[in-house]
Parts: sequence; C-alpha cells; structure tokens
Amino acid sequence: MRLKIFITFLFGSIIFFSCKKEDPLVVDDISGLGGDTWAKTALDKWLYDTLVVPYNIATKYKWDQSELELNKSIVPPKEEKVIPVMRSVKRVWMEPYILQAGELFFKKYSPKLFVLAGSASWNLDGSITLGTAEGGRKIVLYLLNDFKNKTMPGYVPADSAIPKQMFHVIHHEFGHILDQTIRRPVAFDEVTKGFYTADWINTDDYSARQDGFITAYALSSPFEDFVEMISIMLIEGKSGFDNIVNSISGTSIRGTTADQAKAKLRQKESIVVNYYKQAWNIDFYTLQLRVRNAIVNEIY
Amino acid sequence: MNRSKKYLKISAALLLLFVFIFSACKKYDTAFVETPDQRINTAIKKYQSALTSSPAGWNATIRTQAGGTYHYHFRFSDSNRVKMFSDFNLETAGTAGESSYRLKALQTPSLLFDTYSYLHLLSDPDGNVNGGDNGLGLASDFEYSLDSLAADSILLTGRVHGTKLTLVKATQAEFDAWQNGRWANTLAFENINKIQNYFRRLTINGVNYEIRINSVSRMLAFTWVDANGTIRQFTTSYYYSATGVVFVTPFNTGTQTVNGLEIVSWDAVNSVLNVKVNGVASIIAGATKPLKVDLSAPQRWWQTAASNSGYWISLDGFHVNGVDDAFGLKTIPNYYFVVYWPDYNTGSNDLFAPVFINAAGNGLELLYGAAPRAQFTSDGRAVFTNIGFYGTYPSTGPARLSLNQLLLPQGYYFIQTSPSTYDMVSSTDAKAWISLQLVQ
Repeated sequence: MRLKIFITFLFGSIIFFSCKKEDPLVVDDISGLGGDTWAKTALDKWLYDTLVVPYNIATKYKWDQSELELNKSIVPPKEEKVIPVMRSVKRVWMEPYILQAGELFFKKYSPKLFVLAGSASWNLDGSITLGTAEGGRKIVLYLLNDFKNKTMPGYVPADSAIPKQMFHVIHHEFGHILDQTIRRPVAFDEVTKGFYTADWINTDDYSARQDGFITAYALSSPFEDFVEMISIMLIEGKSGFDNIVNSISGTSIRGTTADQAKAKLRQKESIVVNYYKQAWNIDFYTLQLRVRNAIVNEIY
Repeated sequence: MNRSKKYLKISAALLLLFVFIFSACKKYDTAFVETPDQRINTAIKKYQSALTSSPAGWNATIRTQAGGTYHYHFRFSDSNRVKMFSDFNLETAGTAGESSYRLKALQTPSLLFDTYSYLHLLSDPDGNVNGGDNGLGLASDFEYSLDSLAADSILLTGRVHGTKLTLVKATQAEFDAWQNGRWANTLAFENINKIQNYFRRLTINGVNYEIRINSVSRMLAFTWVDANGTIRQFTTSYYYSATGVVFVTPFNTGTQTVNGLEIVSWDAVNSVLNVKVNGVASIIAGATKPLKVDLSAPQRWWQTAASNSGYWISLDGFHVNGVDDAFGLKTIPNYYFVVYWPDYNTGSNDLFAPVFINAAGNGLELLYGAAPRAQFTSDGRAVFTNIGFYGTYPSTGPARLSLNQLLLPQGYYFIQTSPSTYDMVSSTDAKAWISLQLVQ
C-alpha cells in the first residue's frame, strides 16, 4: 500500500517537476529574409518590366558573392552596362526562340536567373571564364564592363569577341535545358564514339574539328558536344557553320581524314536539326537565321 | 520478505530524492535582452543613419594589400546611392562617380559597394586596369564589415583581403578640395610621364635631380651626381594629398629634408610641371642628356650578350615623341618581338630584325634581317651602321622605319635599368628610346 503511495508520489514528482519549455526566440524580423532590398532605380524598373513581368526572369546585377566562385577576385558590373547587355540577350536569344516556338515554350523552359559580373573570372592557368551556368536555372555572364555592341561609340570589330562569347554561353546552356528535358537521340553519341576525352583542354578548336568536333570543349562528352553543336550552329549561322566544316583539311593525329571529319559534323548537324523538329517542333534552320541575323545586327 | 520490502522503501525514497535534485530546471540566462535579429537590425539602422549624417561626406584612406595608399571621398544617400571621388587617377579625382551601396547582415553588419565604382578599380582582377596581377588586381576590398562607430569616424575591415578602411567625417573645406579640382590638380603629377624626353629633371637648391616615377606602383626615384662625381640614387613610394605628393620616406638631400612636392600646375604647352619644394618654386622638365653619361654602358651592353651567346629583345619597339611602338611593329601580322643580336655573324656583324610566330603557332621564325655594326664613341654613345641584309628587308613599313631609327647617325646613350635590362636613348633629343631585355 505504502509502495503504491510512493509510486504515485514518484510519478507526480516527475510530472510536476518536468522542465517548462522556454518560448522560442522572436523571429518576426530576420534581416535580409525575403531577399535584398534597396531603393529601386530606373534600371530596376526596366529589368522588372522587361524580364520579370513577361518571362519571370530575374537579373542580379548587384554584388552577391554567394552567386560566384568564392575563391576568385571578381568585381560587380558598371550599372550603365546592364541594360545594353540584357537588351542584346533578349534580341539574340529570347526573341528568336519566342518567334519560332512560342511564348509558352519559352516561359516554360527558360532559365530564371541571370547573374552579372563586371570582370572576367580568371583561372589559375591565366585563362579567363566568360560564362557559366548551373542546373538549367542560373546563367552567369562575366566581363560586362568591357561589353560593347555596334550602337556604342568607339566600337571596333575586335570588340565583337566578348558579346559573341556571351551569346555562345547562353545558347549553350539553353541547349542543355532542352537536352535534359527531352533527351537527344542515342544516334548522336554514336557518331564520334570513342573520341571523347577529359583531355580536351589541351586541344585547340582546329584539331578538334579535324576529328569531327565543332569545338575543343565538344570533345569533353557527348552531353557537351550536342549543345556546342547547337550553340555554334546558331551563333555562326548556316554559312558560317558551312565555312567551318569546309575549312577542315589534313588528317588528324588520331587518324581521322578531312572527309571523315566533315561527314561526322554533317551527320551531327542533321541529328540536331531532326531533334529540334521532332522533340520541339522547331524548324532549326529558320531559328538559325533569326539568331544569326540578330547577332549581325548586334555586332557586325 | 520484510527486509526486502524495507530496501524497496529506502530505494524508492532515494529515487524520489534524486528526482527532486536532478529535475530542478536549469535556467538559461540570455546575455542580451534583445534577440540577435533585433540587435542586427538596430546596428544596421545605426550605421545607416551615421553614414548619411555627414553633410560634407566622408574622407577615407585605403591601403591595399599590394601596398599603395589611396584616398577616397564618399557621400552616402539614404536611397542606397553613393557619390565618390578618388585619387586613383586624373579622371576619378576630377569627376564624381555615382554607384550603389547597401548595408547587409553578412554574419556581421556589412557595407557593400555593390555596383562598379572608383573603389572597384583597385579590386579589378584585370591587371590593365590598375597595374596589379591578373586575377587579383591590387588585392583590395569592396565588401567591408563594420567594426565600430564613433562620433565622427567608422572603422571597417575588408571581408576578403582584410583591407583596413577608416571613414572620417569630412569638413566642407575638404569636400570643396575635391569639388574644386584641387585633387585633380595634384594628380597632374602623373603628367610628367607625358614629357617626351626620356630624362626628366628637377632642381632643388641648385642641384639637378633626375626623376623617374612609376604611377602604377607609385614609386619615385631621384638620381643625382654628388660632390665626388658619383651617381647616387634615392627611391621612395609616394601618395597624394590635397596639395601635392607626399614621400613615404622623406628625402634628405644633405642640405634639407624634402617630405614631398607641392604641385602647382601642369603647363601642357611646354610640357613642364610647376612644383614647390619646401615652399620654393621649381619645375620638372625634360632634358636631352643624362646627368652623367655612363661611358662604358654601350660596350657593357654589347658585351653582356656577345659573351653569353645571348641577344636583346624588345616587345614594344621604339618609343618616339611620346608614342609607344611608334612605327607600328605590332601591326605586322604574327609579330612577336624585335631582336638586336650582337656578334650574330661572329667577328663581322650583328643582327637587327623583327621576329614572328610561325604559321603553326608553335615556334618563332626570322623572315628577314639587317646586319648592323655597333661603334662605341669615347663620350659614351653607340652608333650603328648597316653593312648588309639577310633575306629581303622591306623597303617601307614598320620594319624599315625601325631600322632607320636604329641607324640614327648621332647614336644612343645606354641606361642600365637592371642587370639584364637596358634603355637605349637617342642622343639627339632623348625623345626616342627602346627598352631592351636580355635573352640567353
């Protein structure tokens, strides 16, 4: 009987002496929650009206180290370069796709974030990176401070290299998104099977072309090869691409003859064209014409 | 039975006691009354109102990791805009630039200059912008954590390179010094690099000093001839103030200590910089001859290469009348450098030629060349004469113009700038020169 009292008492003590839980911290006003805020300028309004409202694409031009490589010295862009760059991006990448495949297609698949940097990203080997992309969502464009197109004073043809590289990056990354949404035909990977190598960095574009690759980077994997084909065909245009193919001569170090290399590039070209038609119902050659015309208007 | 019951009671009592003892709640004392979020918001508000509280803006001094000292003037608005001046170069000292800034909680309250401004010129990883290393620039910061706030100053530390930045409230007079172009006037010091003569001279107290400045690393060198006829040199780094150039190491001339130069004005017509040294007016102007000619320099230059089977190259070619690569060697396709090869044909002649990158891009090639001979005069000059050609030397264009310059009848003085570099300076007016480096 006493034991029962003891036990009851014991439980009672456990119940009544168990700790009172403290109230959680007040978290009603976390600094920076919901993103950065600042007094909006005309530039912010332009970006909002031109890219956010119609396409839900954000443009981050203000410095945010977390969007870039932490181990690199990079600087933010000059404010006056932001609109010209994004206007060019719109003309060379957005408008051709929208005209060709429709707004719905574009809104559905376009990457949603552009991050802009003023300088290039310098690599340890002294080379520079002009563009990167992540996960089909974010595209980083570098070297905005040196961006010039035909409409700007003091433009010389040598300035075309930087905008052209930007357009290359954007079309390349968008190619990845398309490829990841509807996979490229297996036949593409078969064309130059056995030639892909991690050592592409020690190869130049000319040697790569002798083996039937459009650029040295295309050597890295079929995945990159496919989108390099898309990007180069679009930014160089039909005749530019034909010139590249026709300029191949000699036999490569790995024994591919010029005729074989040309045939391989042509085979890849036709696979890309068919893929655009079958997967996306896009006429590639019309799209190519639109992109190339836009680029010519921009920089040539 | 009874015993075990007793034990049970005792152990139950003990258990009860333990429960009392150990279930006592531990109270956590909070070190602060407010939450971290409330405190950071308060701190940011405090800094925000401090930044915008100075009507004449803030003076700032930055010492980059690369070593240079730079001055800035900031005016912060309450709508994330900042206007600034800087003594980085003539343009930034004379025209205010506007960009954006933001206060943000990055672990600590931080001040971010978040679009490109004069401040980013120091951090730009392109060496062409600021003379720093490619990929690093001058190792300076544009994101700062706010360390402390006093009545008229704010201490900040760079988040990447640890650059120290101190903001001090400016007076109206200090702000006016920027607005009225006094700083821009001081920056006119860099114009002495526009003087077309190789030699630039300043007279202090009757003694002539040759001055060389590197406006990128902000180094200044004085060269003079002492009473015994020996060439002496003094080197210091410098920075700017609102009135002139300040030497980091004061220059003791023997008769007085010079802490800096007051910059009065730049006379663009005559290419003369008017200065004051310790209050006495003087000028920095071009000169056509070295203070003391290094008589053996031409022969040393020739012999260094000849006895090491080496040769001299210049990437930029001749600098003439203020123009780098005056004859446009770099416009020739595949041009790499121009070579002067002493004793190329042993005992007979030297070689002077532009060198090209070959078509495959993996080697150099010599397409043509001239065969000069060097003669050394007793007054320390080298005079070149040509005795023939290799291949077909162009009769016009950059290569021929460069050769004509080399064959200048009055010849050249040689200035040794390091064990393996010489500058070869025209002896007629010192307005043409070429910088040569040894390859062996």
